[in-house]
Amino acid sequence: MNQEIYLIGLNHKIAGVDIRERYALTSCDPQAINEVVRLDGVNEAMVLSTCNRVEFLVVANRQPDIPQQIRKFWAKLCNQPQKDLLDHTYSHENSQAVTHLFTVASSLDSMIVGEPQILGQLKTAYRQSLESGTAKVIINRMLHKAFSVAKRIRTETAIASSAVSISYAAVELARKIFTDLSNHRALLVGAGEMAELAATHLLTSGVRDLTVVNRTLTRANELAKQFGGRALPFEDLHQALLETDIVITSTGSPTAIITAKSMKEVLRKRRNKPIFFIDIAVPRDIDPDVNSLDNIYLYDIDDLKDVVEENLAGRQQEALKAKAIVDEEVTTFMRWRESLALQPTIVDLLGQGESIARRELRRSIRQLGPDPDPQMVAVLERLARSLSHKIYHEPINYLKRRAQEEGAAQHCIHTTRRIFNLDSDHIPVDAHWNRKK
Amino acid sequence: MTASRLFELLIALLYLAGSITYPLGLLLRQSILKRLAIGMSVAAFGLHSADLVLRFMELGTANLYHGQFYLNFLAWIFVLIFFVLWWRLKHDFLSMISAPLALILFSSSLAIRTQVLAVPKYFSALWFSLHVGAIFVSLALLAMAFGAGLAYLYFERKIKTKAKLPGFSQDLPSLETFDRANDWATRIGFPLYTISLLAGFLWASFTWKQAISWDPKELISIVIWFIFALLFHQRLALGWRGRKPAKTAIVLFVLSLISLVGVNFLLPTHHSFR
Repeated sequence: MNQEIYLIGLNHKIAGVDIRERYALTSCDPQAINEVVRLDGVNEAMVLSTCNRVEFLVVANRQPDIPQQIRKFWAKLCNQPQKDLLDHTYSHENSQAVTHLFTVASSLDSMIVGEPQILGQLKTAYRQSLESGTAKVIINRMLHKAFSVAKRIRTETAIASSAVSISYAAVELARKIFTDLSNHRALLVGAGEMAELAATHLLTSGVRDLTVVNRTLTRANELAKQFGGRALPFEDLHQALLETDIVITSTGSPTAIITAKSMKEVLRKRRNKPIFFIDIAVPRDIDPDVNSLDNIYLYDIDDLKDVVEENLAGRQQEALKAKAIVDEEVTTFMRWRESLALQPTIVDLLGQGESIARRELRRSIRQLGPDPDPQMVAVLERLARSLSHKIYHEPINYLKRRAQEEGAAQHCIHTTRRIFNLDSDHIPVDAHWNRKK
Repeated sequence: MTASRLFELLIALLYLAGSITYPLGLLLRQSILKRLAIGMSVAAFGLHSADLVLRFMELGTANLYHGQFYLNFLAWIFVLIFFVLWWRLKHDFLSMISAPLALILFSSSLAIRTQVLAVPKYFSALWFSLHVGAIFVSLALLAMAFGAGLAYLYFERKIKTKAKLPGFSQDLPSLETFDRANDWATRIGFPLYTISLLAGFLWASFTWKQAISWDPKELISIVIWFIFALLFHQRLALGWRGRKPAKTAIVLFVLSLISLVGVNFLLPTHHSFR
């Protein structure tokens, strides 16, 4: 009873790269993140952290300070001040939270609308919360629904197929800088889905070849084999920068691996041949000052997002369609949840009826004398039980009907419980165990 | 109005139409308009060539001393160089600069009525033709580098600051192509400019028995030569690319314009047509 769904998080729209870097949970111990269920009033939790977003999905008792508690917990996890989280996070409740989750799952909230990675990331987050036991009835149902919504949107709208990706935007930019991509070589520093996607795009757009540099050479070799390129150890990065013109970086390095100072030297050796950097990593791999050098163009993930947004208008129609699907599914889910809230009250009502019937039956049987006719007792029993059922039948139907309307259920349940005084004398173990009168 | 006058008016009108249609086609992103504009430039160029031949036959060899013919011929060279760069860069965007410049030069050649420069009879035709011919080609290349340089600086800033690129930029070439126009102007323009200057001094030493007479045109030309030499050196030896050469080319072209208009037509020196 009175369990609310809260969703507190940040994404690329509300927080810049630096904030996202500081509050990312990717390097945190999952065990430590799961501690969120220990917070006062929290019953279920799931945490999603990708390079573009961090989301805390929490099912908790109705308490106004839940978002505040989450932010405090989050800031502590990252050893960062809580202050920035206030300005750069959103906090949704109930149907809004569910809408947000469904929107995220179906990739409508992604930087690249329609990109498929987010669904996989969400599945991983859900699996983790299942394994650690922090996902229970409501989160289970919500996530399953989210996955099916994502699938529906993928099949029923063109959002996914027309997804204009960051990598596509990067290729378009490369075409504005270089005349003929087949005269230019690409370099991939580090690995990662997004970077690999960009590399694939560059290769299909006709770049001459691809070099892969990675901290672990075996991984570099794997990638190089996959793309038909060559692999170099990390120490040869400087050398690779001399020979390549389009560079995608995506390492997990906490500090910049390419600085303005080192690039000055590289530029001199390259005789100022232009170089285009695409920095997909969070935290960033390339010092932003590099962009101030002539003949170097540096775009990070946020810059590319702005480029991508230009293409948004054409997909407006599909996005509306997808939104309609999300709304529809949110309504179904909320209905389920309200009916879930209804369940204990129905049980209580029937229980109350049964107990009254039983009590009255006992009294009536006693009045029949010491040795009542068993047939008579059976008739009385049936009468009492069916009376109690019949009397509660209409109120229960009414409750079920009203529960279909969003927001009405809580009020109805409350009134019903007051009318029948369900909470004062008898509380069954399976219902509203967390309600304090 | 004579028939030849009407003919020249037609050429000017074609250049005008080409100058308007190309930017229009670019802005509206209609490649048909751009093709039309190029077609008009081609037609104008054909008529223009015929006009030049006619004038040449009419005036004889001394025509380059004639102010109006001078500009007429310069306009023709501009369009010719545009065609060469169109072919080399595989892009026709320089029509943006070549058509208007050809229009301005050609119509000024129609408007001005200057007398034939009095030149000593014993001039050396070879040196003089080399002097004027080389400077014309080099000037035309600079004009193209000027246009490409402006475009480069504009788009480079947009890409650097991550600003939204205007829609018509889709039909424009890359920064690399703009820079190649500059490369062309530097590699070919500078040697030609040098040849022109040397030829001029040689010719002067033959005709006036002194290589240099310190008139404003000669001084400004030497200044231009030094800047041009700097650009040539930095580009070829140090690998300058992008912004700096673009800016230098713009400065060079503006100086050349000053020298062309200001000195040849406004100041009384032996380079002027007064």
